[in-house]
Amino acid sequence: MKYSRFLTQVSRNRQPSLIREMTNLLAQASPELVFMAGGLPNAQMFPFQAGSITLKDGRALTIHPKLMMDCLQYGPTPGYPPLVKQLKDLTQQLHSPPRWAEMDLIVTAGSQDGLCKALEMMISPGDYVVTQEPCYTGTLSILKPYKPRYLPISGDQNGMCPEALKAALSKWKPEEVQDTEKDVPKVLYVNPNACNPTGVSLPEDRRQEIYKIASEYNLIILEDDPYYFVQFGDRKDFPPSFLSMDVDCRVIRFDSFSKILSSGLRIGYVTGPKPLVERIVLHAQVSLLHAPAMSQVLVSELLKLWGDEGFFKHTDAVQAFYLDQRNAMLEAAEKHLSGPDLFTVPLCH
Amino acid sequence: MPNPEKFPFREMTVTLEGGKKLTLSKETLSAGLQYGPSHGYLPFRNQLKRMVEQWHAPPRWAESDLIVTVGNQDGISKALDMLLDPEDFIVVPDPCYSDFLCMLSSLAPQIVAVSVDDQGMRPDILQSALEKAISSGSTGIPKALYLVPNSCNPTGTNMGEERRQEIYAIAQQYDLIILEDDPYCFLQFNDKYLPSFLSMDVDGRVLRFDSFSKVVSSGLRIGFVTGPPPLLQGITLHMQASCICPPMLSQVLIHELLTSWGDEGFKKHISDICQFYKEQRDAMIQALKTHLTGICEWIVPEGGIFVWLKVLHLSDTSAMLLERGAKGDIVLVPGREFMVDSTKPSPYMRAAYSCVTPEEMMKGMENLAKLIQKEIELQSTHT
Repeated sequence: MKYSRFLTQVSRNRQPSLIREMTNLLAQASPELVFMAGGLPNAQMFPFQAGSITLKDGRALTIHPKLMMDCLQYGPTPGYPPLVKQLKDLTQQLHSPPRWAEMDLIVTAGSQDGLCKALEMMISPGDYVVTQEPCYTGTLSILKPYKPRYLPISGDQNGMCPEALKAALSKWKPEEVQDTEKDVPKVLYVNPNACNPTGVSLPEDRRQEIYKIASEYNLIILEDDPYYFVQFGDRKDFPPSFLSMDVDCRVIRFDSFSKILSSGLRIGYVTGPKPLVERIVLHAQVSLLHAPAMSQVLVSELLKLWGDEGFFKHTDAVQAFYLDQRNAMLEAAEKHLSGPDLFTVPLCH
Repeated sequence: MPNPEKFPFREMTVTLEGGKKLTLSKETLSAGLQYGPSHGYLPFRNQLKRMVEQWHAPPRWAESDLIVTVGNQDGISKALDMLLDPEDFIVVPDPCYSDFLCMLSSLAPQIVAVSVDDQGMRPDILQSALEKAISSGSTGIPKALYLVPNSCNPTGTNMGEERRQEIYAIAQQYDLIILEDDPYCFLQFNDKYLPSFLSMDVDGRVLRFDSFSKVVSSGLRIGFVTGPPPLLQGITLHMQASCICPPMLSQVLIHELLTSWGDEGFKKHISDICQFYKEQRDAMIQALKTHLTGICEWIVPEGGIFVWLKVLHLSDTSAMLLERGAKGDIVLVPGREFMVDSTKPSPYMRAAYSCVTPEEMMKGMENLAKLIQKEIELQSTHT
């Protein structure tokens, strides 16, 4: 795929920060190298020496002095390397992206920062954006300054309707817009699971149809999936992600730990085609530099302590909790809000 | 909001230098793990406001506000996004902090580059450069002026009080927002604190960017911005849409630390780190004198972590450092990286003395002297 088509001029202008790039020299250098290029403060002068976190299951995460330095010092923009590796392994395990070798994964300060940078990378004022309707207000806040031309796609109890998507795009001929850069839709935003605000999830066949349409019209799919781990039901029955069916390498996927580990730590991750993820990294290099290091180390240590089994045991427990909450909510709604048509979702026509 | 009962962390204790332990209360840890306000954790913001009022006594304090950002550089990045339309002018010192130039290269505004002397931006050059911009016929207007007044990156210079007042007066004349980027304000070796632009801001035109990165932790990603509420609002709205809020655990930890220290403890910590970096600077100057006298020129920095070196007999240092430096076992940043026009050759280099030992500095400067000699020979065989 030709990715430059999707980039704004600002994004195309981005260059690597040489000083950040120079730290890569350290990796190949001889131990005799005297490195005086980085503007790092001396971590020995930071006042925190060590730490300990007790988990709710009674076990402890120990932050010994060397690990505390990792928590407190500048780190690489794409993320704390042990965590990046863990997340890559997890993503490969859960989604087996068909073009994994051409993809990259980075840690972001919450998944929404990744989404914000992805949209800022691709949307110029007045551009078209294809979104589910209704749409998550956070995404609308990101887009508002750009005054985009929305193509809102209606949905039913199974989410975005492929027919509605086709209809919205029908004013363009697919073969005419493949390489066109201006005045055509290039981005599609979707919450495939437990959509915010409707709570609905796209079944597999809809995802495949939507992917096919996105492919015909050469759209980047922004798969915003913060509720992935708290979908109700058995994990083996989860519908496949857009990432898992991404034969074209057109999906940028946003994952979050906010609903299962902590929202305040500000840790999420983005998976997508290398050329696009690289643009997000360049933006991060000159803005927040990287996701908070201590937060990344804590998540990494926790995942290491739990292993896959512990992690999924935890997500199952969170899922079960929210299922109980949902049932209680439905009961309350039935009791007080029942009436004709009060909370049915209209079918697509 | 997710239910924090399902977050797996129950308790957190950190050990400070000197062995004192800080245990976060249940409520505090809970605050650290949940979403917080976009402009910052309230107890922390209040604490910072008290400190800013104490240090700077801003003349328009009642009309100012303060927000927490994900490192001070994210605040600066969002301030630029907020202020600059294409065609607008921004004033920068030349040389300038390279990451700032990187930010500008994506937005591609018109740059008014102002040469510096041993105190930073020269007011006479600033004045004539702004006149030139205004009469250029451009539709854009000069909007902002960026500077690092203390231990400037990369030159290491401090801007004197009189010079600051001159620059402020020119900013008033041309109605510029002053972006005061001050991450090294606590790393001053002479116990002399020069008045900040914020402290002389009678108009409400200064956005001041503070950082904990050199003082408490760079990795926690916490900085703060002080200035007029309408401008802070612009940055906060962007924060809301992007990170949602600055990292809560980081804010909670720094808040607890500052509370535990009190003013006295904070002063002592600053005094300790200044002592450390002063000794590093002294060792660096010693190493420079030993190996680079007659080869390089430099100004002795009064604070911060950088020395700006000029090679006497080379017109450019880039190829030497980037292509041959690692083999010569010494890496510094080429001066060209910091010049507004990076196509022009530059005989300068930036050295950071923060993380190397005095022995490494001696060895490094010895290596540098050899590298420069080789480069001079290489250049002369080409001419």
